[in-house]
Amino acid sequence: MALTITCPVCGKRNGYEFKYGGEEKGPRPEEKDLDPRAWCDYVHMNKCVAGVQEEWWFHKDGCGSWFTILRDTTTNLEIEKKEAQNDEQV
Amino acid sequence: MIFKNKPLWGKKKKLKSSYDVVLIGGGLHSLATAYYLAKEHGITDIAIIEKNYIGFGGAGRNTAIVRANQRTQHNVPLYKEALDLWPVLTKELDYNLMFNNCGNLNLMHSEAAMKAARMTIATAQFHGVESHLIDAKEAKEMVPALNISENITFPIHGAMFHPPGGIVRHDAVVWGLAKGAAKKGVEIHQHTEALSIETKNNKVCSVTTSEGKINTRQVLISAGGYSAALIHDMLGIKLPISVLTIQAMVTQPLKPLLDHVVSSGAYHCYANQTLKGEIATGAHMDPWPNYTTLNTAHYIKHQAEALSEFLPCLRGVRFMRIWGGLADMTPDMAPIMDGNNQIEGFFMNCGWGYFGFKSCSAAGKYMAQFMATDQCPDIFKPFALKRYEEHRLMGETAALVNYTPDN
Repeated sequence: MALTITCPVCGKRNGYEFKYGGEEKGPRPEEKDLDPRAWCDYVHMNKCVAGVQEEWWFHKDGCGSWFTILRDTTTNLEIEKKEAQNDEQV
Repeated sequence: MIFKNKPLWGKKKKLKSSYDVVLIGGGLHSLATAYYLAKEHGITDIAIIEKNYIGFGGAGRNTAIVRANQRTQHNVPLYKEALDLWPVLTKELDYNLMFNNCGNLNLMHSEAAMKAARMTIATAQFHGVESHLIDAKEAKEMVPALNISENITFPIHGAMFHPPGGIVRHDAVVWGLAKGAAKKGVEIHQHTEALSIETKNNKVCSVTTSEGKINTRQVLISAGGYSAALIHDMLGIKLPISVLTIQAMVTQPLKPLLDHVVSSGAYHCYANQTLKGEIATGAHMDPWPNYTTLNTAHYIKHQAEALSEFLPCLRGVRFMRIWGGLADMTPDMAPIMDGNNQIEGFFMNCGWGYFGFKSCSAAGKYMAQFMATDQCPDIFKPFALKRYEEHRLMGETAALVNYTPDN
């Protein structure tokens, strides 16, 4: 299970340098008129995709960047964004 | 294969076009639900749909530890009932589940942990579950192999001792429940994949499988770590779940040295000696969600380091087998038991994390009651999905478990 992650600043690095930051869920909802259900949806709810998902990572032992990558959760392999777009997987 | 021609759970039958109840997943929670539906509610027209074989997932991958010393008033009675059911099921199923109530020793490595243990023990005792605090010396008397010196990363301050817990042979539970359910007429369809659930006017009407379509009024998704993805893919319902691989391994067989289940939160390590003499041990979950169920050098090294610190006699012992399973973790470390809520006739049983094995008998019993009566049993009420948006999370963990850089 070789997990490597491509940091936009530091390039391809060992996955253990990073911290998982959750599924990509779009922008944080506006606080005005926010109902508990929408907030709960943003905070807690996941799709738990068994396959390629877009997700956040934090380069904790590196430059401190926050960024998203595509990863196949069944193999732990990072998928190049361009590659995925060509396959229309995004 | 000894069971090739005649499995304990009957010959393979052709899938019918309709059943009263369809259970997706052939693990212990489904098998227990089917067993109790048949036994206590007279509902026998049931199909269990399993993509692989029964016990493929968590049912056959857990480290077989059972206990009822959880943290909150809602959870403890459920696990207590599950614990009390092992001897009862052994008799009822006429199948030796090899329940060895050797007791659990949960090591504490700081005064703060001892204080937290006192609270957990008070909860257990309040609910009639035997659990008490012992100091490091008493722990050493119980497990002479334990290293109680100050000379390790996390010195042992004491332990939470829970005598009624222990080990149950997990495969035997799978086979016993499958046999018991099949005897009452439940059909177990292995190598059959559930593909979709169809609804009409927000009511369940059918389930499409790789072997054909089944008309049904009730369907339960109870597929362990795979439940959250299935529920989202089939019905578009998102759940507060993160699915992570959790790794386990066994050493070579050794002479008896460990008479209890020993676990340590600080070392992220739990161990027991099987009846064959192997030390079965498990680790914390992987640090990021994945469905690989693969082992990593990282965790094998971690297990070896942890074990050789608090059980130093294991230094130099070899790991013989390694494996992984899935844990579907919720933020409050308590399961989601819900039904007739989002869609009429749709039930879910998931989010057990790494507590699925210990709870299967009681969870199956009450899920059967829920499905048979269409009324949520009181014991399940606090476990509804709605608790998250109402912000009534359970206190099974002192702080939210969220797979983010915060922890």
